[in-house]
Formats: sequence, structure tokens, C-alpha cells
Amino acid sequence: MPTNKRLLLTKKDHWVRPYFAKYKKLLGLVLFLGVLTFFCGSSLMFTSGYLISKSATHPINILLVYIPIVLTRAFGIGRPASRYVERLASHNWVLKMTSDIRLKLYRSVESRAMNAKAEFRSGDILGILAEDIEHIQNLYLRTIFPTIISWLLYIIIVVLFGLFSIPFALMMLLLMGILVFLLPGLSILVNQGKNYRRKEKRHVLYTNLTDSVLGVGDWQYSGRYQEFITTYNTAEAEVRKIDQEMNRYKRKQDLAIQFVFGLIVVALLIWTGHYFYGSKTGLNWIAAFTLAFFPLMDAFAPIAEGVAEVPLYEDSVQRLHRLPKPEKESAAKPIQLKGTGIQFDDVSFQFTEKSKSILHHFNLEIQAGETLAVLGKSGTGKTTLSKLLRGDLEPNSGRITLGAVPISELRTEIFTQIGVLNQSPHLFNTSILNNVRLGNLNASDEEVAEAIKQVGLDQLVASLPQGLNTVVEEGGKRFSGGEQQRIALARILLQNVPVVIIDEPTIGLDPITEKELLQTVFHVLQEKTVLWITHHLLGIEHADRVIFLENGQIEMAGSPQTLRAENQRFQQLYSLDSAE
Amino acid sequence: MMDKNLFRMEKIKPVLIGLAGLAVLQAFLIIGQAYFLSKGITNLWQGQRVSAQGKEIFFFFLCFFLRQVAQFFREQQLDKFAYQQSQILRKQLVDKIFSLGPNFVQKEGTGNMVTMAIEGVSQVENYLTLILPKITNMMIIPWLVAAFLFTQDILSGVIVLLVFPVIIIFMVILGYAARAKADRQYEGFQKLSNHFIDALRGLETLKLLGLSKKYEKNVYNVSEEYRKATMSTLKIAILSTFALDFFTTLSVAVVALFLGLKLIEGQLALLPALIVLVLTPDFFLPLRDFSSDYHATLNGGNTMKEIYRILDQEPFKATQNLTLNEKWDETETLSFEKLNVKYAKEDERMTLSDITFAWQGFGKIGIVGLSGSGKSTLVKVLGGFLEPDGSEQIKVNGQVIPHLQQEKWQKQLFYIPQDPYIFHDTIRNNICFYVPDASPESVEQAISQAGLVELIEELPQGLATMIGEGGQTLSGGQMQRVALARAFLDQERKILLFDEPTAHLDIETEAELKATMLPLLENHLVFFATHRLHWMKEMDYILVMQNGKIVEQGTYEQVSKQQGYYAKFVAETKAGGELNANQ
Repeated sequence: MPTNKRLLLTKKDHWVRPYFAKYKKLLGLVLFLGVLTFFCGSSLMFTSGYLISKSATHPINILLVYIPIVLTRAFGIGRPASRYVERLASHNWVLKMTSDIRLKLYRSVESRAMNAKAEFRSGDILGILAEDIEHIQNLYLRTIFPTIISWLLYIIIVVLFGLFSIPFALMMLLLMGILVFLLPGLSILVNQGKNYRRKEKRHVLYTNLTDSVLGVGDWQYSGRYQEFITTYNTAEAEVRKIDQEMNRYKRKQDLAIQFVFGLIVVALLIWTGHYFYGSKTGLNWIAAFTLAFFPLMDAFAPIAEGVAEVPLYEDSVQRLHRLPKPEKESAAKPIQLKGTGIQFDDVSFQFTEKSKSILHHFNLEIQAGETLAVLGKSGTGKTTLSKLLRGDLEPNSGRITLGAVPISELRTEIFTQIGVLNQSPHLFNTSILNNVRLGNLNASDEEVAEAIKQVGLDQLVASLPQGLNTVVEEGGKRFSGGEQQRIALARILLQNVPVVIIDEPTIGLDPITEKELLQTVFHVLQEKTVLWITHHLLGIEHADRVIFLENGQIEMAGSPQTLRAENQRFQQLYSLDSAE
Repeated sequence: MMDKNLFRMEKIKPVLIGLAGLAVLQAFLIIGQAYFLSKGITNLWQGQRVSAQGKEIFFFFLCFFLRQVAQFFREQQLDKFAYQQSQILRKQLVDKIFSLGPNFVQKEGTGNMVTMAIEGVSQVENYLTLILPKITNMMIIPWLVAAFLFTQDILSGVIVLLVFPVIIIFMVILGYAARAKADRQYEGFQKLSNHFIDALRGLETLKLLGLSKKYEKNVYNVSEEYRKATMSTLKIAILSTFALDFFTTLSVAVVALFLGLKLIEGQLALLPALIVLVLTPDFFLPLRDFSSDYHATLNGGNTMKEIYRILDQEPFKATQNLTLNEKWDETETLSFEKLNVKYAKEDERMTLSDITFAWQGFGKIGIVGLSGSGKSTLVKVLGGFLEPDGSEQIKVNGQVIPHLQQEKWQKQLFYIPQDPYIFHDTIRNNICFYVPDASPESVEQAISQAGLVELIEELPQGLATMIGEGGQTLSGGQMQRVALARAFLDQERKILLFDEPTAHLDIETEAELKATMLPLLENHLVFFATHRLHWMKEMDYILVMQNGKIVEQGTYEQVSKQQGYYAKFVAETKAGGELNANQ
């Protein structure tokens, strides 16, 4: 999975890097304010040190120390003010970038290229991707900004000392170089491997615990609890071992950083002592220079640790990087359909060359207005059939047409022709009204209410205090499974398409709810061409024709009545599925 | 300031005392460091040579470094302590989860529990290392420093002591204002930040509706709205940090100013003035530390509260151990007498009420009813995941027990839920979960009985293929068959609980499975809850449930002839749908 080549912040990285350029001005402001904050803090101590040294010479006139007095106040206010604005600006910048990345991620997942990649369909991956974006936010706020600010300060300090004394400037170049380059670099070298290993071990711990918590009943019954505890403890001990090493390193690193700070203060004291020796006015600067360094420690201390975290973000960027780039799609030309009949003509399909063939020289015609039920064991390609029809998958050979027009030519306009009611229609966390209206954004409130009535939800909606404005909650969980399906059905009614695919919408419903739902579905879809994928025979009488898929072919076909009368296999299944 | 929960930790007191000792030491080192630095500077200022400052520089550096060494030592010890505590906490938590069982886990949200045990406990670990020194430092260092300031310059001492409460007051006021604002917006926030995931998850639906392109704008706009809302809250939220910053830097400026004035008038020498100037920021340092990492601290505290909430959950009622033979046999009896169950303790309504039922020996007992009628709840009570409301309603072989979370009972039962859990392991180990030392032949047999042969042939590494989280994904029906294979393999367990074991299967696969399953259910005590009514013919006894009650019970013949709820139920599923061959 993760390649060894680093991607983050390199030229190929098109997820994090481009945003530096995009909001240049704001970024400049953030960095400027960051530097300004430390500059003010340092200057406050500088002017204060000078102020009291100068005052200690008992100047005759207070006006002589007037400028340092004013400056002290200015810096005293300047530091918190610039820090406040800097924090606002940096958050603003990061959140702007977040909006862009979200859009980009959305586009990428939405793109047609995505269709083929089933791996991204699962909700988990999507959650992880969304989290990755949050990780990138942290990368900016906790690592990138502070590091750049410390570099800028480093340059400024060295240049400033260069104005006084080149040798001392070089000395500071070296000493502070330890802080901004040597220790962070070392930290990356030492911790990179550990970081990865830690992540890996933690992952083991995660799967371990997930297994234990989700499978708690199985552990409890099987009497294998002790065994679990043992493996779990080993996994935990391994994580701890790495943690311990990393913590130990961090403590030593902190000590080293502080040691360098101490050295710098001593160096400043010695240098200023030499430099200003013998100059009456110059002596006042000793306290100023020495004290000015203390506030800067805050800028340099966290760098080494922050930088060591960078490899941790690598995963997130890699994951985002693997997403396909959105393709440019040409708008489909308006196409005149000749009727709404569907034709599968010698269609063959398999997912990859090696996998088993799903459809094999498959032929099927569905008349306009017909309701066709597709039965077959799981894995026989019932759902594949519907995906081919919608153009989400393309056949290896053969032709699929709707109203005599090949599906592939309909491209993005397919939704004007085919609606889908599947096992888990997604209900968005908004009102019923908004959810139903997704079928047709131009529908009036009355039209939505009419659709709700048709699917038999009018009484339920009327009983809700907020009626159509009731929020369905995450994943629609405010409503039962059958009700959710009805909302989705109302949406399809508004979509007003001639063809509807129904893909096992009744899994998990009790037989009565299932029965009633199917009755409603087929009642409201009477006029339409319906492809109904089902895994059992309840309600099969609604179909005009039934086909059984097996080994990529139609195994048997006929009206439910004929099959019931003549086909032994059908009879067997039918009696199996009935309650008596 | 002090989190009560901290005192629930073992050995917390000696740790706090040790930290307090270190804080005193650090305070002295801070003072020493300031003194020697100021002394050196003053000497230089008086015209002395640098070379004469060896002693001052050495002692400054010594104090400066020893202060860091003390910190090093402190973190080393805290790291150890926090780890020990987190280990204890995690163990308690896992034990608790195990004792409360799957029903509890489901109620709390499964992902939630795992995250809490790993991330949550890590957060607490981090919280301990952060909060403990913060507290002790804050209680000790500023006051020792202030005391020393008074010996140098009373006015400066007074200034810092006056500013300190002002900072606290401002932080509290602004903190409350920010929290009030944040609270008001929190709900909206949550909605906005979940919106993106919602959009990603619903993408397939949006595509089906042809809206996915148009929705782009919405995604961006909502994200921008979120940004604006966050910014407006942040403006207030970080005001408290601003106040802290503002007053500390300003008091340094004010102290410097007063020192300057005193120096000009000759009321003070340079050395004490410098010492005061160097020490003033250190006086405020513990306060600044205290408010930094605010979120880590807040989260840590909240998580700890949350963990203790779970640890404080009432366990199942203590009970005498159920005495039971190794294997359930023909002579043994189980009975429920007016059993009432609440799904969650805080629920007002009973989920199950007045369940009365008795059985002896083996037999297949079907449970039917609409969704929400209480079938699953009843199965959970039988499995011992759920505790009835009263304590004298269950009898096994005449022995009264409050619930069925009994080792002897659970050891011989097998539970197959609608969505069985698949472990992150090979498919072989998943099947052998209950019988780790099963022979290859018996595994083969279980696989063929569960109709998994074809699936395993198609898997890249056959039986050694990893499944579960992160492994090969299985469909719902395949997972159910893996669970069935587990049950087929373990013929030792005589009590079987099924909760819609075939919901994800197509009718043909189900029919095949049914044929292999039925013989295996003989000589077992089986409870079988399902929506697929054709199973009822095969049952020895049927419980018909409605609204949490058993409305009818009896053999298949009895309940179907009764013209009662079951007959109506069956008729309902057919009403208008009877497929007539001669239509």
C-alpha cells in the first residue's frame, strides 16, 4: 500500500502543496504576524532591559528614557494583538483550504472514473478520507506554520547580529542551526521508522479490540476470553515499547534544546560583555540583548517535535493521491428515444479477465411498461445487470439499448430515463421535503405532498408536529426501514422517469411491511418499465414476467402464473417461500 | 480546577506530593537562574570584564540546566505513572465491556467503545501527564516567585499579585462567553461538519438522481459557511488567550516602567531591578502553561468522565451460580414466569412484558412477529445479554435466577444474530472460532453444510484468506453462512439461538441451507426468530409476538388453526397476492 517514496509537499503532491500558492496573501499575512508576535515579545524584553539599565545611570531628564518607555508599552500591546490576529488568520486560511480540498475530494469521488472502483464505495473509506482532510489542517497549524516562522526568525536574528559582528552572527548561525535544522532533522531520522511501526502496531491493537468489542458475545460464549486478554496484552506491550522509546527520545531532545538555549544566553552575555566593554553608553545594551532572547525560546522549542510528526501525515496524502483525477465530461447531446423498451443484445460481462464470467452472450428484451422480475442466487449477476443498464458498468461485448439508443450514448443524461430504488437509498440529514425534492428540484411543495400521498406516507407526515419539515436525521434513522424506502420511492416519483430499477429494497423488513411496500411500489409504478431484482418470491404476482439467472444465462422465464402452473422448480420455491 | 475523577486513580497522592516537591525545587532554580544572570549583567554594566564573571555564568547555567533536568525527571516519572494508570483503566474498561455484553456495546455504539478503549484511554494518559504538573506548578511556583519579588521590590510584587486575579477573572468571563457562544453554535457545527460525510455517503444516490454535479456547489458553500461560523466563534474563543497574553506582557511593561522610574530617582539599584524584570515572565509562566493545550486537557477530562461513566454502569445482578449439567438434555427445564424487560434502564415502557413460557428438554421453538414486536429482545434475554426487570422470573431446572448471564448456560449455547460478527482473521479461523482445534475434515464438512464451498474456491488463498475488517469483503449472506458454519462445526453446544439467520439469503440458497440445517437442529434446544414464515412448519412450538407480548403460543397446527393473530399475520402477507395457478 504505502510506497516508500515520500509524496507530501513534493512536486507531485497535488493535495497539500498547491494551496500555498492559492491564498498567497493570507498566507503572507499569517507568516508576517507570526514573526511579528515573537518580534514584539523579544523587543519588549529588549527595550525593558535597556530602559532599566539606562535609568540606572540616573539620567537627569526623564525624557531621555521616554522612547524606550513608549516602545515598551507598544510592544507589550503589540505582542498579544498580533498573536490574536495571527491565530484568526491562520485558522481562516486553513479552513479556506479545507473548503477547496473538500470540493476537490468530492469531485474526485464523484467522477466517472470512480465507478469502476468498488473499493471506495464503502462508507468507511469515505469517513477516512473526510478525516484525512482534518489531519491536513493540523499539519498546517501545528507543523508547517511554526516551522516557517522559526526559519524566518532565524534569518532575521542572524542578519541583525551580522550588522554588529560577523563572527558572532556566524556563532548564532551555528547554535540556532542546531535548533532549527540539526535537531528536527535528527528527530525525523530517528522517529520516522518508529512512527510507522507505532502506527502499524496501533492498528493491530485496533483490530484486536474491534474484534473483541464487536465480537464480545462470541468471546464470551466460546470461553476464549483469557486467550484474547493474552494476545491483547502482547499487542499493547508492543505499542508501549515504541511509545516509551519515542517519549524517551523526546525528553532527551527537550533537554538538548534547553541546553542549547542555555548556551545561547551565555554566548550572548559573553559577546555583549566583550563588545560593549569600555563604552559608557554601550553597557546599557547588555541587558537588552541578553533578555531579548528569552521570549524567542517559545518559537524554537516546539519545532523538532512538530517536524517529527510530518511522516504521520504521509498516509493521508497518499490516500488522497490515489484517488482518480476527475475527468472532463462532455455534455451529452439531447437524444430522441424511440419508446422505452430495453434490449440486451448478445451481452457478455466479467469484472476482470481472470474472474468468472457474469453474463455470457446474454439476450433480453423488456417491453415498454413491462414489469420484469429477476431472480437468481446471490452472485449470479442480478445487480450487475442493473448496473449495465444504467451505464455504470460497460459490457465487454454486445449492446444494451434503451428506446433503440445505446446506453453508452446517454451518458450523464441517464438519470432522466432511469430511476433506482435500491436496498439502502441514502436519506440526507435534512427535512423530508428536501429529501423528496431531490427527485426534481423544481417541484412545488404541492407536488412533493402529492408524491408523499401516493407512497402512503401522508398520514404519517400529518402526525408529525413539523410535517414535511421534519428532519430525517443521519441516515434517515428517524424513520423505520419501510418508511425510509417510501420516502425514497416518493423521490423517484418526482424524478418522473420512464424506467425504474428496483433492487431488493425489502431486505430486513418483516413480511407484512414488505408486502405493503411492494403493493405501493407496483401501484405507483404501474405505467413504467420496471426491472425488479428480488431474492425471494413474496409479491411475485406483481411481475408480468419472471426470469431466473444462472451461469450468465436465463435459466427459465415466463409469467408468474405460467411458471406456477408449469415449472417444477418455481413451484418448489414458491411453496418454500409461502407460510403454509 | 481539580478534576474529581483524578482522585479515583491509584497512588495519585504520592505522585502529587512528588510533583509538589519538584515544583518547589524548580521555583528555587528559577530564582537562582534569574539572580545569577542579573548579577552577571550588573557586574558587566558596572564595567567589570567578562572574564571575571565565571562564577555568575557557571551558576546561571547550572540553575538553568538543573531546572530542565528536574523537568526531565518529572516527565520520565509521569510517563511511567500515566502509562500504568492507563493500562489499569483500559483493563477495567475491557473487563466491564465483557461483563456487560453485546447488548450494552450495541447500545453505546460499537465504534464508540473501541475508540474509547484506545484513543480515549490514550487521551487520558496524555491528560494525566499534562494536568498534574500544571496543577502543582500553578499552586506553588508563582507564589514562591512572588515572595522573592517582594524581597527585591515591593511595588513590583504588588503589581504582579494584582494582575494575577485580574487575568483569572477575565479568562473566566471570556471563557464563559466563548463557551456560551460555542454551545449555541455547536449543534449547527456538528451538522455542518457531518454534512460533508453525508454528501460523500449519499453520492451514489445523488448520481442516480443526476444531481451529483450540481451538489458540488452545495458542498463548497456549506464548507464555507462552516468556516465563517467557526471564525466568528473563534474570535471570541481565543479572546481568553488574548487576555492572558495582554495582561502578562502588559504587566512586564508596567513593571519595567516603574522600575525605570525608581532607578532614575535612585530608590533602587540595578541588580534587584534586573532580577525583578527577569522573574516577572516566570511568575506568569505556570498560568500560561495551564491554559495552553486547552483542548487536550478539556478532551482528556471529558473522556475520563465518560470512561468512569461506563465503569460505573451497574453490572448484572449478583447471583448464585446456576448449577447445570455439561450438556442440556431431555430432562432439563427452562421457564419464564411473567417476565418483564426494559431495553434500557432509563426507558419508561417495558420492551417485553408478561412473557410466560416453559419448555423441557430439546425442541425447535419458532418466534414470529412484526419488526419491533420484541423477537430480538427475547432472544437476547435467552442469551443472557439482557437482564429482566424483576429478579425471580426465570427458572432453570427449578432454580430461580435473575438473568441468564450464567457461565454454565452460556457455555453450551450458540447465538447467530442477523449480522454476525466476522473477525479479522482467516476464514478458517473464523469458522473454527468456537472449536479452535477442529480437524480439517470436520471443517470441510461444516463448510459444505453451510454452502460455502464455492465461495472458498473463488477466494485467492482459499481457507487461509483473511476476511473481516480490512480483509476480503463478504456479502451479508456470506457472513451469515460463515456464522452457520461455526454453529455446524460445534455440535457440542446444545442450545442454539437464531435471530433472522437467513435474512440476507436468496430463497434458493436458503432452501438448500434449510435442508442441511434441519437435521442438525435435532436433539438441540433451538430458538429461531425469523420473518421467513416457511420455517414455522418445521418448528415444534411457536411463540407469536406482538407489542412485546406473547399473544399466542403452541404447535404449528394449534397456532395456525386458532384463527388468531398468527392466522391473520399469515393471511396479511398474502392478502390479494395469492398466486393462483389457474389464473
